[in-house]
Amino acid sequence: MKQIWTAAILASLASAAAAEVTVDNCGTPLTFDATPERLIVHDMNMTEMAFALGLQDKIVGLTGITGWYKTSPTFDEARGDIPELAPKYPTVENLLAAEPDMFFAGWYYGMRPGGEVTPDTLEPFGIKTMVLTESCVHQHEGRPEASMNLLFDDVMRLGQVMGVEDKAKGLVDGWEAQLSAIEAKTSGVDQPRVFLLDGPADAPFTAGKFAIPDAMIDAAGGASVTSDLDTSWGRTSWEAVAAANPEFLVLLDYQTGNGAEDTFKFLQEHPVMSGIDAVKNEAWIGLRYEELTPGPANITAIEKMAKAMHPELF
Amino acid sequence: MNRYALGLGIGAVSLTALIVLSVLYGTTRIPVGDVLSAIATGLGLGGEPGPMDRIVFDLRLPRAVFSAVIGAGLGIVGVVLQTTTRNDLADPFLFGLSSGAAAGAVFVITVTGDVLGIWTLPLAAFSGGIVASLIVLTLVQSLRNAAPEKLILAGLAVSFLFAAITNYLIFSGDSRAAHSIVFWMLGGLGLARWQSLPLVLAGLALILAYATYRRRWLDALLAGDRTAKSLGVPVTRLRMTMFLMAALATAAFVSVAGVIGFVGLMVPHLARGLAGPLHTRLLPTAALIGAALLTASDILSRVILAPQELPVGIVTTSVGAIFVFALLIGGRKTAR
Repeated sequence: MKQIWTAAILASLASAAAAEVTVDNCGTPLTFDATPERLIVHDMNMTEMAFALGLQDKIVGLTGITGWYKTSPTFDEARGDIPELAPKYPTVENLLAAEPDMFFAGWYYGMRPGGEVTPDTLEPFGIKTMVLTESCVHQHEGRPEASMNLLFDDVMRLGQVMGVEDKAKGLVDGWEAQLSAIEAKTSGVDQPRVFLLDGPADAPFTAGKFAIPDAMIDAAGGASVTSDLDTSWGRTSWEAVAAANPEFLVLLDYQTGNGAEDTFKFLQEHPVMSGIDAVKNEAWIGLRYEELTPGPANITAIEKMAKAMHPELF
Repeated sequence: MNRYALGLGIGAVSLTALIVLSVLYGTTRIPVGDVLSAIATGLGLGGEPGPMDRIVFDLRLPRAVFSAVIGAGLGIVGVVLQTTTRNDLADPFLFGLSSGAAAGAVFVITVTGDVLGIWTLPLAAFSGGIVASLIVLTLVQSLRNAAPEKLILAGLAVSFLFAAITNYLIFSGDSRAAHSIVFWMLGGLGLARWQSLPLVLAGLALILAYATYRRRWLDALLAGDRTAKSLGVPVTRLRMTMFLMAALATAAFVSVAGVIGFVGLMVPHLARGLAGPLHTRLLPTAALIGAALLTASDILSRVILAPQELPVGIVTTSVGAIFVFALLIGGRKTAR
């Protein structure tokens, strides 16, 4: 019992000492005078970051979860009774009613440029917005190309701001170790050409050089055929994809209908795509939204991809 | 006069009721008592405002005022444009205004980002609308006679040009930006704040004051250009000035609320049915109907899908269209 008290006192001292925290927010500093007590998180991927850090008791609401996805039992269990304030994008009123002091979201992850909810429109209400680093590219020029730091840095930033930096550091160290183990196996082997597809469409919607799947495919020992696409998520053409002749496909599984299976059938019937190696050899994997947007699920997704691309190594 | 005064009175009462409802209802449930105390707090009569107080005083109240002001403004702009072009289908957005404003906004969303902070998008939309209108005016002015058909044709051409620019920007930019743009092009009052109130008030004041001041000239235009000229009305100059005023006012509205369809097109017709064609009565009637229509639509847009919010343009268009169906059917019966 005594030990618990000592730990509690030490912890409170530590949080008092670390009261003022400044983190990078799309290239501008974001300063907190005190640790936020009431947090709202948008979208599955960012919510899973917060859950991984054990921040449930500080989260007063979630937004943008059930409007788009089916949640997994693990997610529901971690979520407990945290309310969802809006199933899709929130309004300022939705947020303000929960009395938050911080909102964790991104551009096109809960916020639209020039829209109702932006860091600028929330600021007058005393709500600070932490912007998902992957999404900074929508508002700021000259962002670095995607790397796994998109995940690591955001978990570290969230950890620093919420006063759980050690936990964040532990998570990131663990993930880095997992990734180096994968890299050790895949280094030196041929990297298959990989193409990521969002779903059936007249023009393929995929991840460009600023989106995290670009770094994930790399970490799994593959080479994305759209890594020169100068956008985060965007459209390319079937011609360009077919010309690159991908050997492996990553298909986004929205868990509607038969999910990624439907997308693969679409490709098998597509006049051009049916002829590429990946479709002929049925070399593909379906991954969920939260596995392909910055979040803790990235790591297991990389492992799944690596195993599917290089079955002989695992 | 008495029936007209009574009508205006009823209109004013309904509008007030709608504004009250607009403050009472939103995407969050707030009890009536709390709403009243929030307003008192906002006026400085209570203590430190809490989040609920701020929702009521800093989000809902300006929003209600905005919907009334913008609705009234769009109604008047519609009257002015339909009279000056002598075309029943003229509306503020037929003259390249909306596509110009949209192009400005899309340019910010896809290319520059919020470089000037919170005012970037309104400023870009405003400038886009004004640039498009100036092109229309220059086009028409370079012709020898500014006939109303020419004004509409020039407006359409400019409208298509800016729509092409917008679509190019959407297509070349990040695909996800398209969602943001669609939302903006359907209009919404979510950005209503006290700070931007002077802008929309100025827009309304400008068009209301000028149209009221020139109401006799507008009446004369109804009898045709030649009659108006014989009555001493400088027809071409009036047409151009009115168009410019309408453009300035609309650009101010669009810059904060996006492109809200239907109000400017249909409200003048509804108003004419109630007040007749002469502008002394037509202008206030159109303003009242426009204000009531937009305020009611905004309430619906927040309630239908709560806690999500619909773009208000979807509501104004559908509510308005149903209203016009009813009017057409009712009108046919009385005609028989």
